[in-house]
Amino acid sequence: MKEIFSMWKDTKMVVLVALSAGIYAAVLIPFKGFVLIPGITEFRPASALPVVLGLLFGPAGAWGAAIGNLIGDFFGSLGIGSTFGFVGNFLFAYVPYKLWRNLGLVSKEDMEPNLKSSKQIIAYIVVSILGSAACALFIGWGLEILGMVPFAALASIITLNNSIPSIILGMPLLIVLYPRIKKWDLLWTDIIPEADVPAITAKSRTGAVVMVAFILVGLVGGLIAAVGGGQALLYSGFASTAGDALVGIIAGIGSIGVLVAGFMQ
Amino acid sequence: MSKENMIELRNLSFQYKDQKDGKALEKVNLTISKGEFVLVMGPSGAGKSTMAKCLNGLVPHFNRGEYSGEVIVNGFVVKDTPVSTMAKEIGLVFQDFESQLFSTNTKLEIAFGPENFQVPRDEIHSRILEMFDLVDLHGMENRQPSTLSGGQKQRLAIGSILSTYPKIVCMDEPTTDLDPLGKIGIFNIANKLHAAEDVTLIIIEHETEESLNADRLILMQEGKIILDGKPSDVLREVELMADLGIMPLQIPKYFLENFGTSKTELPLMPEEGIAKFKELGASLDEQQHQSLIQMDMDREKAYGDVLIEVSGLEHIYPNGNKALAGIDFSVRDGEFVALLGHNGSGKTTMVKHFNGLLMPTAGKVMVKGQNTKETSIFEVGQHVGYVFQNPDHQIFSDTVYEEVAFSPKIRGCDQEEIDIRVKEALAAVGMSGTEEEDPFSMTKGERQRIAVASVLSARPDVIILDEPTTGLDYREQRQMMELVKKLNRNGHTIIMITHTMWVVSEYAHKVAVIKDGKMMMYGTTREVFSHDEELAKSFLKTPDIVHMSNLLGKTVLSVDELKQCTKGV
Amino acid sequence: MEMFLYLDNDTFLHRLDPRTKMLVMLATFVVALMFYSLNTLLILSAVVLIYGLVGKTLSNLKRIRFILLMIFLFSVVLWSLTYGGEPKLLGPISLEGILYGIVIGIKFDIMIIAGMIFLSSTKVEEISLGLVKIKVPYRGAFAFATAIRMVPMIVATSYTISQAQRSRGLDLDSGNLVERAKKYIPLLIPTIISVIRGTNVFAMALESKGFGYSEDRTNYLQISIKKGDLLVIFMALVVIAISVYYRFII
Repeated sequence: MKEIFSMWKDTKMVVLVALSAGIYAAVLIPFKGFVLIPGITEFRPASALPVVLGLLFGPAGAWGAAIGNLIGDFFGSLGIGSTFGFVGNFLFAYVPYKLWRNLGLVSKEDMEPNLKSSKQIIAYIVVSILGSAACALFIGWGLEILGMVPFAALASIITLNNSIPSIILGMPLLIVLYPRIKKWDLLWTDIIPEADVPAITAKSRTGAVVMVAFILVGLVGGLIAAVGGGQALLYSGFASTAGDALVGIIAGIGSIGVLVAGFMQ
Repeated sequence: MSKENMIELRNLSFQYKDQKDGKALEKVNLTISKGEFVLVMGPSGAGKSTMAKCLNGLVPHFNRGEYSGEVIVNGFVVKDTPVSTMAKEIGLVFQDFESQLFSTNTKLEIAFGPENFQVPRDEIHSRILEMFDLVDLHGMENRQPSTLSGGQKQRLAIGSILSTYPKIVCMDEPTTDLDPLGKIGIFNIANKLHAAEDVTLIIIEHETEESLNADRLILMQEGKIILDGKPSDVLREVELMADLGIMPLQIPKYFLENFGTSKTELPLMPEEGIAKFKELGASLDEQQHQSLIQMDMDREKAYGDVLIEVSGLEHIYPNGNKALAGIDFSVRDGEFVALLGHNGSGKTTMVKHFNGLLMPTAGKVMVKGQNTKETSIFEVGQHVGYVFQNPDHQIFSDTVYEEVAFSPKIRGCDQEEIDIRVKEALAAVGMSGTEEEDPFSMTKGERQRIAVASVLSARPDVIILDEPTTGLDYREQRQMMELVKKLNRNGHTIIMITHTMWVVSEYAHKVAVIKDGKMMMYGTTREVFSHDEELAKSFLKTPDIVHMSNLLGKTVLSVDELKQCTKGV
Repeated sequence: MEMFLYLDNDTFLHRLDPRTKMLVMLATFVVALMFYSLNTLLILSAVVLIYGLVGKTLSNLKRIRFILLMIFLFSVVLWSLTYGGEPKLLGPISLEGILYGIVIGIKFDIMIIAGMIFLSSTKVEEISLGLVKIKVPYRGAFAFATAIRMVPMIVATSYTISQAQRSRGLDLDSGNLVERAKKYIPLLIPTIISVIRGTNVFAMALESKGFGYSEDRTNYLQISIKKGDLLVIFMALVVIAISVYYRFII
């Protein structure tokens, strides 16, 4: 986790944060009128980007996703919820690159995301779904406790809205982008000093497993509790109101757990 | 005269981390004294930019690789000094002006460097005023840099470097992306800086013609310095320059080839050329000149049907800008037309009407007898292909095959047909056998060819090329233009936007000059280029050889044509 | 759509400290979030619009009118279909549902308008400096400001790219959803590549201008809390206090 702070020393990483954020916002904004949940989210082909940015630019991609989303918010979903959007989109990029390295889905020798083997493709799909889910969990939890939107509806919609573009659009993007980024020496592992690239250790591997566990507990548990409490999934969920204490607690444990697991890696 | 050494390179070698063949710099030794103005030239890959980056430490601190030898700049050993400290000594200006502007306001842009160096606020204020004067941006205070023209942006970028008061200024191809007017602005600043004496100035440039003002001209090739001397001496090395892939000046080339004039006697500029021409007792052959004109006329008669017909074309952008004000123009089958005019004159807006990207606000555009308003860009695109200026704006595939196959595929061709077309298009641009290669790993010249091939594969009658030679070195420019010429011979009609005047004079059949949305001049290249003064109103300058022939009273378009027309001696 | 919202005017609003304007924006969010009464939200809207009018920023409303309209319409549609309530008008649609949708629509639109007013009256560099003054590290603030500045440039690049690809026959408007989504790849890849390609020059140019020379730097731009700021801050705090009082204490 320390790389997300130490990276700011490097000018290239600072520039990559700005450019990633700019690209993300630029692709988000033209679709702000294609509203899915008014004031909260919309049709987002741009959701293909955070996972790709995270895998290529690591912490710079995560900050970029967070900042880019915040800028996008100014054009259609600004409010207190934007703080949760900031963290949620950070996780959307952060979780995938962390799990990619630490979950053991790809071998240590074949860690650069070229998507050339079926093993890597499966790993990509797994980490993008988990990244999407982590983002959905955090934002869903935030807006639930703010009493803005019911958890079951929001978390399920965001999970789908994030993971579908990440997979359909994100994979072809990454396949073409990876060799260029590699050639220009812009993979985050090539930019930051070797000492600052977190080692893959027993602790970091445990952290990855814990992270997955909290994402699943938070999201699935939260959804079960929400449905049990009378909420429904997707659009039917809007018939209920947010503010269910049990949902808030379970999703909250998941959300905080994801952040804590982040510190272990 | 012994002046203080400002820059010293001792046995400097550098090889980039993943560079396979050779070194970027090989055992370079160079000394530059305080106040000198040094120009560096050489083909792409000669190591010019690498050398510039060695001066402020970007090499080896930023671009990693194998570094040996020593660079000392104003007493600092560059290898052991952080880039941000070196930045106080030496300011670097890059070709890509968009990437070196960071602010939303011109004043703040100039303040950015001094802010980093903790210059007191009042001092920054006075430097800002000074810089607006120096880089000639009066009236642009408080403008957003993004609203400036290319030339103004580059001047602002230079101002933002000069405001830190560096003792050395190094510009890496500052004019490459600029139109003629923009280039003049940069050379003016260079001359002002040179006059200021205490600034040491290093410019990497392609433009041979502007080099006479420098104190020294250095030629590089394959990481080595080949020649270092007074510009007037170096420019007389016509054959050496041609060998290196740098465009030699036309006047000395003509005299060398036609009269075998000795090196020390070679004239450099058109006016000197005239004097020498008279001294040698030469004259122009009327009959030969008439035969050139006759050939122009024969070509004119051989053109086929009208393919594009534009009448009363007006275009007003949604923001109210009137880009085109009543253009009448037509292009016949087999023509090769060059469109000239500075950026913002409306030429790109005009050609975007030819393939249906833009629709006229008034007037009409007919392509092959069909009004573009009544058809779609998909259909017009079959007949009119458009190669955009920057090949990176269209390449998206990871193999050349996929890239070139995109257009036929989307137009519903079957696999067999696609294969045939890809093969044919790649053969036409001289890139056969590269199907499986990655277009992104190619040089800019090669990517430009792939972009042309990917337009050719739709088999259009007309090909529009937007600045096809920008950013290429002389050899690549030649190759590109020979390719365009071949396409024209094979039956494609060519419409080309360009700022490179020698390209126009040697390749285009016809020329249209656009200014402020109106067509100022139109005719055969020979006709249009015979009017030096009128062209100058649109900031266009004919190539030296054309200018010289105009002074002699008959317009020729190339060194070869002038040789053909020269009588006597 | 033009995405650079800043309007270069010299008004009371423009002269306010960016921190003051951030607080006003925050106050708008808090109030908008707490109340579900149409009257309260209409009053809030009026206040926000007057505030925007002072800064001559409302001309930007027409740039985001499509988004505002869509959010409002979707709110009404979504909530009237799912809210339930009485009296039923047609199927699941009820008068209460429609009213609720209108309330939510206004609620979100007013927050977006507040954001628009902020961006329209505050230079990117002022935002950056304001963030630094509230203890955001300079490099983070720089990245944020640069990203805002880059957005319109990236959109312009992608517009050129879409013209290049349409010239080659790309048609974005046909096919089913997945096919259409895939058609964005010829746009997204060159856009990303063109932007990222500049990273190295960008970073080199930054260091060549002394970025990172020292932890401290001079700020040519000056911001300070003046009398006008104090007045606005005081009013914003009073509004928040009154709102909290009404919402939670009464």
